[in-house]
Amino acid sequence: MKVYVNQKSVDVLPGMTVKHALMSSGLFKEIEASKKAYDEWGNELGLDGALSDGMKIYVKNCKT
Amino acid sequence: MKKLFTVGLNVLFIFLFITFAYAQSSEIRILHVNDFHWFVEPYKPLGSDELLGGIPYLASKANELRKEKPSLLLSAGDMIQGDNWANLFLAESVIELMNGMRFDVMVLGNHEFDFGQEILKKRISEARFPVLGANVEGLDYLKPYIIRELNGIRLALIGIVTEDVPLSTHPRNVAGLRFISHTETAEKYIKELKGKADVVVVLSHIGFPADRDLAEKVKGIDVIVGGHSHTKITKPVSIGSTLIVQAWEHGKVLGVLDLTVKDGKIIGFEGHLEKIKPQKGKEDRVTLAIVKKYKERVDAVLNESIGEAEMDLDGENVRKGETNLGNFIADIMRRASMADVTLINGGGVRTSIKKGEVRVKDVYSVLPFDNYIVAIKLTGKQIKEALEHGVSAVEDEEGRFPQVSGLTFKYSPTEKRGSRVKEVYIVGKPIDPDRTYIVATNDFLAVGGDGYKAFGEAIKSSRDFSVIGGMMKGEKVIYSDSGRWLRDVVVEYIKEKKRIAPAIEDRIIEIR
Repeated sequence: MKVYVNQKSVDVLPGMTVKHALMSSGLFKEIEASKKAYDEWGNELGLDGALSDGMKIYVKNCKT
Repeated sequence: MKKLFTVGLNVLFIFLFITFAYAQSSEIRILHVNDFHWFVEPYKPLGSDELLGGIPYLASKANELRKEKPSLLLSAGDMIQGDNWANLFLAESVIELMNGMRFDVMVLGNHEFDFGQEILKKRISEARFPVLGANVEGLDYLKPYIIRELNGIRLALIGIVTEDVPLSTHPRNVAGLRFISHTETAEKYIKELKGKADVVVVLSHIGFPADRDLAEKVKGIDVIVGGHSHTKITKPVSIGSTLIVQAWEHGKVLGVLDLTVKDGKIIGFEGHLEKIKPQKGKEDRVTLAIVKKYKERVDAVLNESIGEAEMDLDGENVRKGETNLGNFIADIMRRASMADVTLINGGGVRTSIKKGEVRVKDVYSVLPFDNYIVAIKLTGKQIKEALEHGVSAVEDEEGRFPQVSGLTFKYSPTEKRGSRVKEVYIVGKPIDPDRTYIVATNDFLAVGGDGYKAFGEAIKSSRDFSVIGGMMKGEKVIYSDSGRWLRDVVVEYIKEKKRIAPAIEDRIIEIR
């Protein structure tokens, strides 16, 4: 299954979560440093959230 | 002047019309949670200093909001797996709490299957609320939908769960079950419910992107209360005439959706998420008592003796050499996944276990991370490359140092990185660089954790995943049980064997 993190494609297994996609993309440390993950519609995502094929995730500074 | 008078009359007319319309309407409230994974106590989410969640505070807020208008409390799934608090009691604790909170209905999530069908049936029979699963065939305990009357409004609630359940839990947990298309299922029941309900709610555990898709494809859904993607939808999203809501995860918020209904139509809505955080004196007493009761039991279960170690199990030296504890865990993983070999990172083994009685908490201290077993096909060449990576920083005692099962190898720490590994044998035979072997590992390494790339490359080249004969099949991935933590697999193994005596077997030999 392919998902996109900050427009970079990563391959993960079914059953894996947002956390796995971030680890695979090398951006998990950004979350530890207070950034957050959002979907393509701007909604914040929990790290244990399920992924779907083609999903777009953006790691960025928290919305205020 | 005449024009001004006409405008004024129109405004008055509209005002009176709206007032009259609302006077004839009914207001109801939907309270909702999803993906609780049973975080009963407040916690600080990663990267945040704010304590959020806590079941007694969530229950208290739900009770407060219920008093304001006729309400339903809904769960959009994934309640019974996750935290130790749920896992140690196979979710009996969760159902007791949900009963205490007076949930009105829930839909199954994919993780509700993680303890197997017999446990699931037991939990459903303990629940004082209906459990939905309209697109699950083969489990009679589920209802496809229910109809509830609230403030004169007939609400139909249809429950659907992701069709991908078999891809994310152990095959035995879903044996004999069929997960049919949620779109077709929703269409079927909306047709069946025509004339029987004023408002149609789909309680969904398919994820926000799929909820959007469902709203676009299936007409007649008024509200989708979602889960699965752990999406924090701060205001209801409108797709056509369907509203979609979802309340993030872990009870950090409570979803609130107020609907104004007239003549079977929603004529007004307001939705938001109520942040849940600890506030002294605001705990709900009923749930607090249940939490306390099970907390004491958690301590008892963690202290439970599950077997005996005939010698010390070494978790200290896992970053610089083979240890008996590393071998023990790697062997269990190979056995569980029926792989040829296991390759894990020593850094995942956090402490030792002393000779003598082994308790649940000892295993949990050794394996504190929420990791699960994955088995992937790698070529002999890729395995050797992975081993090279594993020993590439042995001088720094980094966590990447491997612990293995089913294979032996020698390495020279004095040679340059990338050329250290020698004489790799798999089940007694020299490794064949072109042959594929099934390699068990954990999900952390599978996505490139500790710098391991081989597994990620295999996943990348694996084509579509599907369930064949009850097993998830990908071209390269043959096992993935995201519903069962590795530490619980180890606990179960020790319980079965009672006495354990793992040894160092020269699987990893340092040469100088």
